[in-house]
Amino acid sequence: MLTKSDIESISGEVGNFSVSLTRQPRYVDMDLCVGCGACAEKCPKKVPDGYNSDLSKRKAIYVEYAQAVPLKYAIDGDYCLKIQKDKCGNCAKVCPAGAIRYDDKPETVTLNVGSVVLAPGFKPFDPKGLDSYKYSEHKNVITSMEFERILSASGPTHGHVTRPSDGEEPTKIAWLQCVGSRDMNRCDNPYCSSVCCMYAIKEAVIAKEHQGDSLDCAVFFMDMRTHGKDFEAFYDKARNDAGVRFVRSRVHTVTEDPETKDLEMRYVTEDGKIEVEKFDMVVLSVGLEISSELVELANKLDVDLGPNRFAATDSFSPVVTSREGIYVCGAFAGPKDIPQAVVDSSAAASCAGQVLSSARNTCTKTKEKVPETPVKGEPPRLGVFVCKCGINIAGVVDVPAVVEYAKSLPFVEYASENLYSCSQDTQDGMAELIREKGLNRIVVAACTPKTHEPLFQETLINAGLNKYLFEMTNIRNHDSWVHKSTPDLATEKAKDLVRMAVQKAALITPLAEAELSVNPNGLVIGGGVAGMAAALSLAKQGYATHLIEKTAQLGGTALSLHKTWKGEDIQENVARMVKEVEDNENITVYMDTELESVDGFVGNFTSTLKGKDKETTLEYGVAIVATGALESKPTEYLYGQDPRVRTSLEMDKLFQDDDPALKEIKSAAFIQCVGSREPGRPYCSRVCCTHSVDSAIALKKRNPETDVYILYRDIRTYGERELIYKKAREAGVLFIRYGVDNKPIVSVTEGNLTVRVRDHVLGKVMEIPLDALTLATAIVPPDNSKIAQFYKVPINDTGYYVERHAKLGPSEFATDGVFLCGLAHYPKPIDESVAQAQAAASRAVTLLAREKIFTSGTIAVTSPADCSECGVCIALCPYSAPSFSTERPFPGKATINPVLCKGCGLCVASCRSGAIHLNGFDNNQILAMIDAL
Amino acid sequence: MPKDVIGSVMVVGGGIAGMQSALDLAESGYYVYLVEKGPSIGGVMAQLDKTFPTNDCAM
Amino acid sequence: MADWEPKIVAFLCNWCSYGAADLAGVSRMQYPANIRVVRIPCTGRMSPKFALAAFRKGADAVWVSG
Repeated sequence: MLTKSDIESISGEVGNFSVSLTRQPRYVDMDLCVGCGACAEKCPKKVPDGYNSDLSKRKAIYVEYAQAVPLKYAIDGDYCLKIQKDKCGNCAKVCPAGAIRYDDKPETVTLNVGSVVLAPGFKPFDPKGLDSYKYSEHKNVITSMEFERILSASGPTHGHVTRPSDGEEPTKIAWLQCVGSRDMNRCDNPYCSSVCCMYAIKEAVIAKEHQGDSLDCAVFFMDMRTHGKDFEAFYDKARNDAGVRFVRSRVHTVTEDPETKDLEMRYVTEDGKIEVEKFDMVVLSVGLEISSELVELANKLDVDLGPNRFAATDSFSPVVTSREGIYVCGAFAGPKDIPQAVVDSSAAASCAGQVLSSARNTCTKTKEKVPETPVKGEPPRLGVFVCKCGINIAGVVDVPAVVEYAKSLPFVEYASENLYSCSQDTQDGMAELIREKGLNRIVVAACTPKTHEPLFQETLINAGLNKYLFEMTNIRNHDSWVHKSTPDLATEKAKDLVRMAVQKAALITPLAEAELSVNPNGLVIGGGVAGMAAALSLAKQGYATHLIEKTAQLGGTALSLHKTWKGEDIQENVARMVKEVEDNENITVYMDTELESVDGFVGNFTSTLKGKDKETTLEYGVAIVATGALESKPTEYLYGQDPRVRTSLEMDKLFQDDDPALKEIKSAAFIQCVGSREPGRPYCSRVCCTHSVDSAIALKKRNPETDVYILYRDIRTYGERELIYKKAREAGVLFIRYGVDNKPIVSVTEGNLTVRVRDHVLGKVMEIPLDALTLATAIVPPDNSKIAQFYKVPINDTGYYVERHAKLGPSEFATDGVFLCGLAHYPKPIDESVAQAQAAASRAVTLLAREKIFTSGTIAVTSPADCSECGVCIALCPYSAPSFSTERPFPGKATINPVLCKGCGLCVASCRSGAIHLNGFDNNQILAMIDAL
Repeated sequence: MPKDVIGSVMVVGGGIAGMQSALDLAESGYYVYLVEKGPSIGGVMAQLDKTFPTNDCAM
Repeated sequence: MADWEPKIVAFLCNWCSYGAADLAGVSRMQYPANIRVVRIPCTGRMSPKFALAAFRKGADAVWVSG
């Protein structure tokens, strides 16, 4: 990890780049700094805290926030008195580790790498330049980033919502959408930033949670763009349950009452009335943009940018930049939310890995293993290390007294204090002591095991001890830090905690981590664009891949699509993909084939594939589900009754075939949200707005005289798709908004097709004669229950698969070894399907590349003699780890698969026979801790 | 493609995207240099209060 | 009873509440020192036996959080 580093230049080519970096001075030796914070306490210089959007102050020597990684301080050279004026020098005086380096200089670092992934992010739009909102002058006009910090418990107001001018609680807050987005006049950002609608709703809902229902939250918007998975339901809930007000209006000016600092807004409602309303606070929902530094970086790297300064990519290779070997992800490739950024980043990792697969494992470092000392049968010889953590613990807790006390406890052979237990030299010293004193169980009383247990376990391994012969107790976060005013009680508590840990430690035993080999083959289910992309990605990384498709043709839904919104010919690209799949030696394709059965678990699956006239048995290590989704067939708007009424895909068919019928169309309309965003299907199908807008432009292009109407609820041309919405309006496509309670009415009289719709802007009902009506119908999942049961993966209310985590695990399931991509996850356009397919492959490769899986030692085990075969554990386990054994010596008894077990202990607590034990947290161990109270 | 392919990757940016890329690559058998402009990684997501849909803390 | 102090035993899930207690420390929130924490891998691990054992050892309250 190289922090405070800027890229200077790059040379070479894919497989062998040479990159020159400048490391800016940090003025703190990272190897020595222990993150105690003594320096910041004594630093006299206060500077605006960028982490808190400058709403509060931090010191010139700082960590960005308490959980920062690395947790090492840095000096802000622009502000430090010592560096600027050669005064002060306090931090060097108080630093217990001697880590301060005022003479630190920038240094040049050269890296040799095979490929590069760019994830430099975005910059929130700075509204200072917009004179209509007077952000700089009106104190109570803030940005959404600032509001985010105000809501945060770690922010400047500790999560208490107050207004900046007077610290009073606001009673009315307004959010103004599209600040720095969808705007060519006041800023140069014509695109939609994609994320602001959703975060504004979230902020409004949370603000109401914090302040109670009396807080009035109003969101002023143009189109509400909640096109992500489960986003629409969140919008519905915010509106209907949380009582957030949504006002469709673009507010042009905000004026401040000079006395009260309240803000007055004048806006035009939908029916044309002018309203004046006062608010206590106004939040500007600022968009995302690319900073000039990033443009400069792109120039240095010779990577092409698009017209909006986002990295230029192609729909079928969404993370590939114009320079071979350099990949892009996150908001640098276009405005996007967290799940999409996570998807892209895994996709970029996959592509960056593909070009280097011949050199896999050549640069990684492996450590030499120290042989493990057997301890079985030996009486416990405990070593207790009590950490002072500088003054963090020792400033409150009497550490020497705790050490003395520890020495008096049974089995304790050795006890001592450490200034910083986590520092490298202390670690080496501890390993030495373990060997020298023959210690066989170690207790460390320090900070939290959640961050430091692995570090100390490493020390045990280096000293030749099994890493599970370790127990940690937290006398900092749970003691010295939270009982500052009662040092005596804190010391008593520390002694109690040490005694509890010692009692438990005496009972712990070495645990083995079972080793399992991983079958290096992959299975991809579904031969659409996502499935093919996933298979190609796995195959190019060197893994044999089996691709099954239930129809007789590869390509899936994409076969019915005409062009992407960027204008790429989909059929051409799909044909190229199909050929690539067929030509790839690592891919075996099974046509007309469905999955019949699944046995086994991560790394070792076995399945039967049922083809037209043959069955195949397949062994594989990972599975990628890419089973797609379908266009729904509507039952409204005369679909199926009049041939001039078509779905979007049927319309695309006309374009694909260059059908002469297109020439006859003089008046065409599109109806959006047919079957989407309605009760029963409360989600947005994401792609239809862009699709209809694109088709409308295509009709106008063929014949500019054609009247083209789009009847919509909200136009959701998110991201840079906004530009084609603009283009459509310029081309004369007419957009008419309708309400869900006032849908258009389609009728045929005397052979004439017409649509009646109430135009909100004109306030009157329009009657439009039509030659063609296209229904933008919902995307619906097929029946996924069979595959869901096979792999024990969940499906949501609307029939789509549920990923491991909405934000951080979008391309994988909670079940190990099973991955997800494409429309099976949620409706999405081709670029996002390809990215998610590559992401699923990337996540799968992290398993395949390991070759072997080590199970955790802290897992449940059964003692078959006690098992009553009741099956409670099997019914309860969320990971399907227990099963009845079918083999000797204990057929019928419960047994637990160590690979699937996550060590939660649910089965242990539920076993009525006491037949299940949890290694590392067994009954006797926990009871020993309680006993020590 | 040169003969001496180097099995390491530079990831530029330590936000959520950069971190995920770096983790995937490291777990796939490549050495990763994670290059960050600021003093610590985390990016903008670390500044967010909570995230939809679970309102999990963004940390 | 005026200066009576309860003795509280907390069983905290490693993944959430234990982490929350860590964060309370990081945020330097102050609370009375009457509480003793037993870290468990998941509240699913919690067994009535543990609560009873804690009461037997003189706990006035048992808190399970996860």
